[in-house]
Amino acid sequence: MKSLNILVLSLVLCMALVCPVASAHRVIVQGYVNEIAVKAYYGGGGADPMAYADVTVYATIDGKEEPVPFITGETDEAGMYYFAPKKRVSEYRVVVEATGHRGDEWVNLTEGAGLTEAEQEEAEEEAKLPLKEVITGFGYLAGIAGIAMILAARKMNK
Amino acid sequence: MVHISDGILDPLLWESGWVITAIILAYTLSKMKIEDVPKLSVITAAVFVASLIHFQFGPTSVHFILNGFAGVTLGLLAYPCIFVALVLQCFLFQHGGVTTIGINTINMGVPALLAYLLFKYGMRFDLGIKQKEILFGTLGGGIAVALAVLFLSIELATTGEEFFEVAIFVATAHIPIIAIEAIFTGITAGFLATVQPELLCRR
Repeated sequence: MKSLNILVLSLVLCMALVCPVASAHRVIVQGYVNEIAVKAYYGGGGADPMAYADVTVYATIDGKEEPVPFITGETDEAGMYYFAPKKRVSEYRVVVEATGHRGDEWVNLTEGAGLTEAEQEEAEEEAKLPLKEVITGFGYLAGIAGIAMILAARKMNK
Repeated sequence: MVHISDGILDPLLWESGWVITAIILAYTLSKMKIEDVPKLSVITAAVFVASLIHFQFGPTSVHFILNGFAGVTLGLLAYPCIFVALVLQCFLFQHGGVTTIGINTINMGVPALLAYLLFKYGMRFDLGIKQKEILFGTLGGGIAVALAVLFLSIELATTGEEFFEVAIFVATAHIPIIAIEAIFTGITAGFLATVQPELLCRR
């Protein structure tokens, strides 16, 4: 009798090992995107945030932009704005406007529009002092000055 | 702050901005001599990079304009100076917008011309002080920025924004810019008057 008991116990244990752990409850894991974060800042060095700027979000349905804004709001002190996406709409155009400054950007959820942290840092780095552009501008102006000097010198020689 | 971007103003407004800028440019350039161009280029280089020097003041970011400085040193040529600087800023730094270069040039260039007139006619007064350049340089440098702010507020009022609200907001943000540019222009004008008077515009 004792050996039968042991046999039953070991059978139960074996079954417990073989069966999937949570056989009685199906586990469902779903991913949700319930918030899109928008960051607005001024370029040209420093990346100062666009604080308290007006934000207008337009939803794009079947490749066509809705004429009426989906949602409007204001950025916070750090230039951030958060909005919940509309059901079944994955493309948005976000317009940020503050006293004469305006910028817009398309956000596409299906294409993985969210920037990774590294990409974001890179973008902010680009917004820093544009040394290359400064040199380019100086180059143009130096060229104009040079041509004018040559012409002025010719005029004096005549 | 004072660079208006594309897509904000009514097309009629920026189109007329281009027309007025073209007229003033044609007039000022007709007064230009080839000998003025090197000086024009140097001042333009300063105005061009000035917009990169910016800082956070209150809720917004403000940058230097140096339009009063251009007016005091270049006279009528301050207008083409501002125009070229804005074109370069637009294409290289994406400051402002392509369509609004005309109206932005008015916003900053017309105050520059007024600063020049103030400096020119102010210098004719006998005030009994030695360094009149410092006084009128300071006034010109400060007033030019203040007028640029006023012009911007008027234009933004046409887009439906409350004029006084915008004007007070933008003007408050620009208080440090007005102060610093006034002092800078005043000191530079005083300095140039002693060491290199031909660099100041008195024509």
